[in-house]
Order: sequence, then C-alpha cells, then structure tokens
Amino acid sequence: MNRLEKLRILAEGAKYDASCSTSGVERKNVGRMGNASCAGICHSWSADGRCISLLKVLMSNRCVYDCEYCVNRRTSEVERASYEPEELADLAMEFYRRNYIEGLFLSSAVEGSPDRTSERMLHCLSLLRNEHGFAGYIHAKIIPGTSSELIHRIGLVADRISVNVELPSQKSLGTLAPQKKPEGIFLPMRQITDTLADRRKIGGTVEKGIRAKKETFAPAGQTTQMIIGASPETDRQIVKLSEGLYDRYRIKRVYFSAYIPVRQSPLLPSPLTEPPLMREHRLYQADWLLRFYGFSADEILDEGNPYLDPFLDPKIAWAIRHPERFPVEINKASLEELLRIPGVGTLSARRILRQRRYAAVHYDDLKKIGVVVKRARHFILCCGRYYGDGTQEPEPLRQLLLQAGTGTKSQSPINDGNQISMFQPLAARGILG
Amino acid sequence: MIDYLHDESFEGFLTCVFLHYYEEPAAGIYAGTVYQPSMLHTWRLVETDQEKAERVYDAISEKISMSALRRCYHLHLSDSPDRYNVAFHYIVMGFRLGPKVGSFHGDPIVHEAQRLARKVSFEAHRLTGLVRFSVIADDSGQKSEEILYARLEPDHDVLELLGDHFADRFRNAPFLLHDIRRKKALIAQNGEWVIMKMSEEQTPVLRTDEKEYRRLWKVYYDSIAIKERTNPACQRRMMPVRYWKHLTELTELPEDG
Repeated sequence: MNRLEKLRILAEGAKYDASCSTSGVERKNVGRMGNASCAGICHSWSADGRCISLLKVLMSNRCVYDCEYCVNRRTSEVERASYEPEELADLAMEFYRRNYIEGLFLSSAVEGSPDRTSERMLHCLSLLRNEHGFAGYIHAKIIPGTSSELIHRIGLVADRISVNVELPSQKSLGTLAPQKKPEGIFLPMRQITDTLADRRKIGGTVEKGIRAKKETFAPAGQTTQMIIGASPETDRQIVKLSEGLYDRYRIKRVYFSAYIPVRQSPLLPSPLTEPPLMREHRLYQADWLLRFYGFSADEILDEGNPYLDPFLDPKIAWAIRHPERFPVEINKASLEELLRIPGVGTLSARRILRQRRYAAVHYDDLKKIGVVVKRARHFILCCGRYYGDGTQEPEPLRQLLLQAGTGTKSQSPINDGNQISMFQPLAARGILG
Repeated sequence: MIDYLHDESFEGFLTCVFLHYYEEPAAGIYAGTVYQPSMLHTWRLVETDQEKAERVYDAISEKISMSALRRCYHLHLSDSPDRYNVAFHYIVMGFRLGPKVGSFHGDPIVHEAQRLARKVSFEAHRLTGLVRFSVIADDSGQKSEEILYARLEPDHDVLELLGDHFADRFRNAPFLLHDIRRKKALIAQNGEWVIMKMSEEQTPVLRTDEKEYRRLWKVYYDSIAIKERTNPACQRRMMPVRYWKHLTELTELPEDG
C-alpha cells in the first residue's frame, strides 16, 4: 500500500473526531522544532467548513470492537491500514515544517488490545518528542480500557488527552457499544482529572525518584466527545451530562458530533436521516452558556422543556422565559447580568464595564462596542431609556425576534473563537472499533 | 493648519506628530506617496528626524500606554489610506485623556483606531496558520542545503509580526517568508530574523520529494472533510478566497509529476 492510500484511509477513519483545538498551552521551542501558542492556530478549513489545525489520523483502523455506529467496526467492509510509529512520526514532521499543521492528533482503533494499541501510540509520540525534538502540539486519544501506567506515560508526552464518553447515557453505550464498559471510560477520565489536580497543587512539578524532575502532564487538559442523534437522549440529558463532566471531571471541552448514518441497523436511525446539524449547533450554544455565561443546565432546559428551540438561540429562549429579569440598565448592571442579555457577548460585556468607569454607555455606542443591537434592544435600558418594541410578553417577543431573523441565522457552523472545529460527528472514530 | 507628509516610516509619522505640537498644528498626516493635495491646506514634506521621533515614542508609552503605542504601530502597518490620520487623532486624544483613552470604545476615533489595528493583528495571527512553506534546495553552496520558502500577499504589511513566531518555531531550519506584493522578505536563521528587499520572483528549486508531500497534504485535506456536512460558505468565511492561491491544498500541483 502506498503512502497516499494509507493516509487517505487513516484520515477518513479519524475525521469524525471533533476536536481540532490547539489551544491551552503556551510553549517556546524547547526542543529542536516547534512551539505552541495558547490561543491556538488554525491552518486551514476543509470543504465542510471545519478547521484543520492538527494532522488527525488513526494509528490503525483494524478494530477488534464492533460498535454499531462506527465506520471502523470489525464487521464493516472498509479498507484497513496501520501506521508504523516511525512512519507516522516522519510524516508529522514533514507536514509540520511546511506549516501545514500545528501538531498531531493521534487516535486509533483497538488493534489487538487497548494496551497494545496504546503502546504503539506512545511509541510514535515518544519518537516525535525525543528523536525528532518536536515541541509542537500533541493531542492523544486515550483508548478505553488502557492501563493506568500507560495513560500516565501518554499524558507526559501529550499536551491534551481525551477519553470519549461516546454516547450520552450508559444505556445507549450498552446498546450500541456493548464491548465498551463505562468504567473503561470513566476510570481513565478520573485518573486524568486527579493527576491534573495533583499537579496544580504542587505547581506543575512532581517528585520522581530521588531528584525532582520537572514534568508536565497534559498541560492543555482533557476533553471528551459524544455522538448526538444516534440514541434517544433529550437535549436536557445531554446538557446535564456536560455540566456534570465540567464539574466533576474538570473537562476543558465537551464536543458534540451529529450522527452521520454509516449503516442500516435496527438499533440506529435510518441511513436516510439527515445529520442533526442544527441540533448540534444549539447544543454548542448551550455549552457556551455553561462555560462562559454563568448559566446552569437547569436554567437552560427544564423538565417541561427538554429540547432546545431549533429556531432560537438558547440564550434568547431563556431571556424570553424570564421577563422579570429584564430590561437591564446597561450602565448599572453587573458583569453577570450583562452576560445574560441576548446580543451581549463576553467581549462586549467587558468593554461596557471598561467604558463605564469613565463615561456613560449610550445606545449609539453599543454597536461600536460589538453588541448585536437588534437582539439586545428588547432587553435593555440605556441611560434610562428603553429601545424595544414595547412587549415583554413571551410569545409576541418571540415572534418579534424571529421576524428580525435573530435566532435562526446560524445554519452554518459556529466560530468558537480561536479554534473553530467544533463540528464533528464522532460516529466513526477509530477507537470505537 | 497644514498637512504633513512623511516617508511612510513609523519614525517619519512620529516626526510629524512632533511638529504638530511644536511647530504648526496638523490638519492631517499622510504618507507622501498617497497624498492628494487639497485646496484647503498647504502641505509640507517632512524629513524624518530620529530624535524627534524618539521623543514622541517615549511620550506615547509613558503618558498614554504601551498598548496605545502598539496600536499606533499596527495602524502604521495597515493598508488603509487613512491610517496615519487615524493614529494621529488617537494620539492627540490619548495625550489629552491619558491611559484611559483605550476604554472609550464608543468614541468614533478610538473605535476606528481599534478596529483598524485589530484587522492588522488578526491578519498576522491568521497567517501564522495559512503560510505554506516549500522545502527548496539551496544550490549556492557546495553542500546542498535546505531552506523553507513561503510566498504570501497579505493585505497589511504584517511580515515583521510573523518573525518571532516562526523564528522560534523553526529555530534550526532557515526559512524565508516572501511578501511578493511588497517585494520584501523575512529571512531567518538560528532564531534571528531580518527583513530585506526582495524583488525577483524566480521559481525556486524544489527538493525532490517536495511534490510527494504536497500530494500527501492534498489527499489529507480531501479525506478529512465530511461530505454530508459540506459547507462552502463557512469555509470561505473562515478562509477568504484571496488567500487560496498560496495554499498548497487548494492549488494544482506543478507540472511534471
């Protein structure tokens, strides 16, 4: 098999992994080649509009598992290939020095056993770090069921590691990926969380043997991913699960991937189903509210409203349900209150606060500050004056906002700031088998 | 009131600011090359004076802020024809208000200065990802040495903003970033970099396996896209088409193999 074929097969097997983030670690060139930028750097955008910043490939797509939703499952008829550690390390270096990529995202199908697969991955990553002196970004996928010793060693060479929860409930995991045990996923996740917490306590260094050697364990933290739309969970369950992962496991990011049908199966949606891209988009908006806007999952969705409104941004939907919280005076509100106004983002909220220290914020300033005025005007007072269309009643207000086209604009993928790749089904990721 | 024209250097611009305070108030400050004389003001071509420029430089950093100084420098690198006027008005306002000038986001002068400067730093950041190097064989020495070579045509004059990033990243690999629009190049070796004039546009001699890696990259680029999610509008928004002609993944491979 030639190099082109192999790369095609192993990239196609990896393309459903959502994360392409290269952020979270700032590092000068401590090796011979490479550095890392805390804001992250995107290198290209593929035809689906997702960013490409890492060489995202599988070590192998020969899998012993048979997960229903995965293109690489054992019984799937796809071409199979595996990289040799040296071969992949060389390729990554050649891509890196041409500035095609910011680093490597390495995942794999379970070839043989989890430990055997992880050893080969570790071998490849160690070659990059030690033989090639590579100081760029590495994201390593943890194969469920890998021994804790190996996880630890992978964490020492990688910047970011991730264990995928795969599906939003244990029940679905049991149905669709019976060979994957929840403990195979949550134990590694817990181990990583605890290691990261320990390191923070002792300032990023760890006593090892007699002399204290400075080691960093996954400085960019851990992330995870789940498939949306392959199983029956509600948005509320998904948002609650994300919140739990952020709270209990200190996950940096939870990625969602709209399920793209790969096969006919009684356990899965019909192959004719459209991928739920809008649902995925709304879930990411809800995720933003959790991480940057001070919302809790129960505020975003409750038992009466288990699904996000497909036509409206979840923040607008929340504001409409809470007329008692509005209008908010721009010149008096706290940061927390400002962040809850539809049309006000984290950046514009901070700019409002900054300007307010010296001068009142007038209505005409809002646009320059970056506020989306057509959305915000229904929810604010500016220097005591109200600029909305007179209604705070939920349903008329909803109609007004829909007519203004404020809630539906985002058919297209979202820009998550510095790293734009949140869109991605995880369905066919190699480690699923 | 007078229009001051300068030689398009940052020091030349700062000299004009000096003259505004110590000689005749400026109606506007322009790069001499783009100036359109008007009936309203006389104009004067200013000779750059290092000492005067330094006094203004220090005054901005001490009396306004380092970030204001950096913002003015980014404005200087912008391709907006009005950039020096924007910077000038921002500085005048800054000397009046002090460090807090940057907080007046709603003020038209501050807003325009921040908006234009942000465009410049954003393009520099964007190019840290979009630059594509080719490995070329340097045939000048006896030994065949390699050098990384990239062509770019940025909207703004951001070459120097890329120097530290790439010089650190490729500390052990000499490279050359060639701005073919402005006919200059950033040349780096061992972590140090300089900017030089570079007009000729000869076709570089590629290392023998260069095309192989370009082909691999194109294969990767095509394979990683999910066809069920094809979204060209999003792709173009994130990566405007004007950058495509220097992107390996979106251009044809050269002939002969």
